[in-house]
Amino acid sequence: MEKMKNKKKHVKSETAYAWVTMLPGLLILAVFVFWPLIYSIPLAFTDYSVVGDMHFVGMKNFRKAFSDSDFIAALKNSIQYVIIVPIIQLISLAFAVALNQKMRGVKVFRTLFYFPVITSTVAVSIVWSWLLSSGGLINKILLGTNILSEKISWLSNDQTALWVLMFITTWKGVGYYMVIYLAGLQSVPGELTEAARIDRASSIQIFFKILIPMLKPQVVMCSLMSVMSAIKVFDEPFVLTKGGPGNSTLTASLYIYQKGFQNFDFGYAAALSLILSVIILFFSLFVNLYNRKK
Amino acid sequence: MNRKIKKTFTYLILICISVIMVGPFLWLLLSSLLPNTNVYDFPYNVKLQSFSISNFTGVFEFVDFGNYIWNTVLISGASVFLNALIASMTAYPLAKLNFKGKDILFTIIISAMIIPSTAAMVVNYLTITKLGISDSYLGVILPTSVTIFNIFNMRQAFLNIPDSIRESGRMDGASELRIFFSLIMPMVKPSLAVVVLFQFMASWNDFLWPMIVLNSTSKYPLSAALTMLNGQFAYNFGWVAAGTVLSILPTLFIFVLTQDMFVDGVSGANKG
Repeated sequence: MEKMKNKKKHVKSETAYAWVTMLPGLLILAVFVFWPLIYSIPLAFTDYSVVGDMHFVGMKNFRKAFSDSDFIAALKNSIQYVIIVPIIQLISLAFAVALNQKMRGVKVFRTLFYFPVITSTVAVSIVWSWLLSSGGLINKILLGTNILSEKISWLSNDQTALWVLMFITTWKGVGYYMVIYLAGLQSVPGELTEAARIDRASSIQIFFKILIPMLKPQVVMCSLMSVMSAIKVFDEPFVLTKGGPGNSTLTASLYIYQKGFQNFDFGYAAALSLILSVIILFFSLFVNLYNRKK
Repeated sequence: MNRKIKKTFTYLILICISVIMVGPFLWLLLSSLLPNTNVYDFPYNVKLQSFSISNFTGVFEFVDFGNYIWNTVLISGASVFLNALIASMTAYPLAKLNFKGKDILFTIIISAMIIPSTAAMVVNYLTITKLGISDSYLGVILPTSVTIFNIFNMRQAFLNIPDSIRESGRMDGASELRIFFSLIMPMVKPSLAVVVLFQFMASWNDFLWPMIVLNSTSKYPLSAALTMLNGQFAYNFGWVAAGTVLSILPTLFIFVLTQDMFVDGVSGANKG
């Protein structure tokens, strides 16, 4: 009896202790993560702005969104950005497999490949904007090797700008996923690939038939993170192109930012972010289902 | 012979990739050390005597770079400390303690990761203004003083610790608080290193939120100042290049420091 009581008391104190330690963290999340989500739902049905009163406007913001050609263009660009997901994942997997070998200098290469990850988007954008400008190094190399016959202003050409941003995101991101895959590869027994090699399996076969299936948990997690950050992409277009030329690099996040912080149209911005959240949710579910089926 | 060719070939490819990954930064470093050259004049006509650090002294003298560095150190330092502490404190009960609603709470927290951060920014800006902490460092730091990503990482790390550790601590009559700080925390050092590195990178490199919260540009951290510098002094490539190089060095330093624990920490976070 006494023991039971003690145990009960212990459970109670453990519960109390758990909530007390979690309190600061939960409070911050409640205010800065959950409150924005909850509050943006009613906000999306109003015309709230910094000036004037707030009025309930019903579905007006949502109707406006789907006939807003800028927003449609932005959504299209954000979704086009998802193309980089399989590319980033394949490259970073290949890097991880290449740098998982026992050879001299492998650690140096890991650090070098990871380098773009640790630098800020601002720094990266400044460097690439110089390299990619019409008088920049990239054009000089391409002209010098006769790959191009005339200069291209990569970032101010509406045919190339978005693809260039996608390239920069890929270049900056591969190192990040590479480290996650490297960590995953540590749990793949070396005998497995050894045995396959004795059976005369090619490196490509080993890569696709053994290593990728073994790394499935990591592949799922990385694809999911990568899809979410691709649709949400903001930094690169914000610093490098401001959405231009025209609307060619306007992304959904950038458009929401413009509506919220340049036009102070908070109600409309909230409606747009709800739409974007639903799209992200849809894509995440798709990645999850696709991987489960496979 | 065949093996040797294969090895040389592998190294050749790795070196080529390295050039693509790090080349732009080496070029940046070179440009920053060559005053009076235009970045578009590459390949530079380099002589030994043309190297100088005058671009670096320039940004300190004319742009008050020291001030921006101090702001960034303050913001990133506070953010890293708070994240390491609060993420651990929030994650530990979620991993190891028994209480009602634990699984639901964790699911709710994780599902919030889909919210686009620009969306939250609008409402967070209103909150910060209501709290009266706009244009202050606190306003910059508070919203990211704990991130879901860090809570998730720490929880994974705690899950890998056997329950017997906590039981043995209890047997010795240690309090929960003591068990946490002197028994559990030392065991999750690699994951803590990952949290420190990622959070340091995130807050050191963040420019958007500080620019929204801070009205006074004198309070700007480096990345925000750099965007400003790039606009105002676009003609002075040398200064912008020097400023950019300076902004990269601290993250590089922290990365080299935590690198050895890094892969361990990431693999710990991905188990289970």
